[in-house]
Amino acid sequence: MATATYEAIATQTLVGSAATVTFSSIASTYTDLVLVASNGTTSGSVSTTLRVNGDSGSNYSTTSLEGNGSSATSQRQSNADKAYIVGFQAASYSSPYISIINFMNYANTSVYKTFLSRSSSNAASTYVNLWRSTSAITSIELTATGTNFSTGSTFTLYGIKAE
Amino acid sequence: MATNYTQIGLTANVGSGGASSISFTSIPNTYTDLIVKVSTRWDSNSDGFSYIRFNSDSGSNYSYRVLYGDPQTSSSGSVSSSGTDKAVSGGSQWAAWTSSTFGNMEIYIPNYAGSTYKSFSGDGVGENNATQTYPVLSAGYWNSTSAITSITLLQASGAFVQYSTASLYGILKS
Amino acid sequence: MIANQVAGFLGIGAPPAPSFTSDYESIATVNVGAGSASTITFSSIPSTYKHLQVRLIGKDGRALNRDNMKMQFNSDTGANYAWHSASGDGSSASASGTAGDNFVSLYRISGNSSADNTFGAMIIDILDYANTSKYKTSRTLAGLDLNGSGEIYFQSGLWQNTSAISTITFTPGNTTNFLQYSHFALYGVK
Repeated sequence: MATATYEAIATQTLVGSAATVTFSSIASTYTDLVLVASNGTTSGSVSTTLRVNGDSGSNYSTTSLEGNGSSATSQRQSNADKAYIVGFQAASYSSPYISIINFMNYANTSVYKTFLSRSSSNAASTYVNLWRSTSAITSIELTATGTNFSTGSTFTLYGIKAE
Repeated sequence: MATNYTQIGLTANVGSGGASSISFTSIPNTYTDLIVKVSTRWDSNSDGFSYIRFNSDSGSNYSYRVLYGDPQTSSSGSVSSSGTDKAVSGGSQWAAWTSSTFGNMEIYIPNYAGSTYKSFSGDGVGENNATQTYPVLSAGYWNSTSAITSITLLQASGAFVQYSTASLYGILKS
Repeated sequence: MIANQVAGFLGIGAPPAPSFTSDYESIATVNVGAGSASTITFSSIPSTYKHLQVRLIGKDGRALNRDNMKMQFNSDTGANYAWHSASGDGSSASASGTAGDNFVSLYRISGNSSADNTFGAMIIDILDYANTSKYKTSRTLAGLDLNGSGEIYFQSGLWQNTSAISTITFTPGNTTNFLQYSHFALYGVK
């Protein structure tokens, strides 16, 4: 069977609200993963975090660059129990927002895992995260911090395979 | 499982006469996400941004938040607007900047055919053999639940010059 | 009905592969081994695509915890490049740029003083790379997080040459080598 370079792995569309969305049993056959989230929240606040492999230890860090319409800011968080993808500082935003998260070399067991993302919400943002583990990523859990993802939110996971 | 990262239709190539806008029409609803890759240059210098419209809607139905860098002043800034007749999609390539140079922009539109309001993420740069240029990230929004069937790329004023191109791709979920 | 279909497959051999189309293709990949590498080069790039994308993680032997990386095209080492960026370092947002340089400078990969296993990451897009009527513009999203510090960059680069890009060369910013497990992948988009 021919292998596509850019391949859809799984999609979840919420019927009803949910606090978390999880992709599990992710195969190690790709080079990078791309997760595209298009979602709202029931409270109207914007703050999406993620964990991988169920790790809730203080093994994540985040650096952001954001423009919220009035100023450009950059923030950091080290030794955290989650990685921030959207809304480093939770804010109100009633419209759907987008996250495009690249998990670079996610199955490489010799490196810590770096995520690069951009998001569109109450701010135009880009983030880099570090997960301090050399384990291959086999599951990804997104959480709407302090609220729930709303009905109709969609999350699609793609794999990119280098030759 | 089947997968697609597929160009939809033909690449738009602007000819010697220039073009006031670039449009993709009759976009099928069979994909999940859309990606527009844009390499354009203006014949004017009036605005640091490129713009986008959907379904030929020129009403006050767009909003955006933008992060931009200003290497001339070694600073970054942010602007926003709502109730506008178009949304910022990324940076632009001014006529006054280095010749033969075209911008580089990508616009990602997830769930374009769904029944929810439409958001998109844009990032675009112009380049210049000098310090003046504006790398731009854009968070855009179209206040409509209609499926996107057409996309129009445009500037605040002026026209795209010859050799400007734009390509539309569809991404299919599993 | 299902049983009939299975019988049909058994009659002709393996089931046919599902058909799909993809205009995003892998062209080449470089994994740096234990011997390290002074440069990473993608050569003989075909002109049959419309756009290129490089996705990478990188670390070099500089005796600091971070370094920039140089990108050059078609072995051109002349002062034919410019580059600009918007960036955040965790405390403030800024921007920078340089004209008339001998390479596109990309920020950042990790250096040898960074924690083990930490690598910088970049996604580089070059549109219309084979268009001989245009100079070549790159757009890069890059980030380096070392837990104690981090930097995120949104960058652009210019190569003032209308030739089709047939070679891309990456070099550490300061005389050193790329270290083991650095990984560079080149993709073409039709």
